[in-house]
Amino acid sequence: MRHNSKHQASEAKKAISLPISRVRLIMKSSPDVSSINQDALFLTTKATELFVQHLALTSFNNRSQTEANTLNYSDLAKTAEESDTFHFLTDILPKKILAQDYLKSLEQMQDEDSDF
Amino acid sequence: MAVKMDGDSSTTDASQLGMTGEYMASSHYVLHPQDDDGEENMNDHEDGGTKENYREQDIYLPIANVARIMKNAVPQTGKIAKDAKECVQECVSEFISFITSEASERCHQEKRKTINGEDILFAMSTLGFDMYVDPLKLYLQKFREAMKGEKGMPGVAVGESLGEDLTDDGFANPLPAGIITADGQQQNVMVYTTTAYPQIPTVQQIQFS
Repeated sequence: MRHNSKHQASEAKKAISLPISRVRLIMKSSPDVSSINQDALFLTTKATELFVQHLALTSFNNRSQTEANTLNYSDLAKTAEESDTFHFLTDILPKKILAQDYLKSLEQMQDEDSDF
Repeated sequence: MAVKMDGDSSTTDASQLGMTGEYMASSHYVLHPQDDDGEENMNDHEDGGTKENYREQDIYLPIANVARIMKNAVPQTGKIAKDAKECVQECVSEFISFITSEASERCHQEKRKTINGEDILFAMSTLGFDMYVDPLKLYLQKFREAMKGEKGMPGVAVGESLGEDLTDDGFANPLPAGIITADGQQQNVMVYTTTAYPQIPTVQQIQFS
């Protein structure tokens, strides 16, 4: 009997594919967090898995270049901007532009300034 | 605080250490308005204790784990760009912090010191992730039943034994655990369980609409 329940417990542990200890580390780095009970830790870890699946799939289906079949950074940024659920990510997902485009627009601004 | 948390202590791979500054260094992308300094993505904080420079979202889950979950969430023919993986890695930390802050606040309001499961579930509901709540409750139930068997008492804190065991063990025998719909499309989502782990029949439909 004891062998069975031990087996069951290790099976339960294997049901999570993310390291709980690191999840705890991230949680504890929030200000004013003193302690976290086991349930909270487990739930957060599991929720994080769901979150990754959810974000990846939503962004993939939402992607701008459908023919490419590849999920890009810009697809994620787009999803964050357009979705209520993922809107909290907009601060860390700014839309990136290519260096050459940025330099071009800088030049344009300088040209405009030099026209009187 | 130097954070080197991966199980393999000999790794020098930047993404294993949680540093996602690589796409910043690439020659293509320059604009990153949120940058205060070039080192915001570094995992290493030897600043002499200036807490303002240390952001909670600078600790990340291992990119291999994150990438694998992503890979199994999208259609089989789909690919994931490297910068997308790194990006989701950061989003994950943001998500964890987001939930934790909210849960912590509630905890403080109720004059408690320990964040419990209810706080987490409540936070998720408040922050727009209520679609996760029911599936999570079921997972928790199963988890508790399994842990009860090991310790002989419900809800006993097992502590560090939950730590490093879970890093790379979770990749055995992926089974379809549910169907997540987004924008009406049916996709099979692989969740890593072993064959002995009971399927949760009511976790079939998670509507992400």
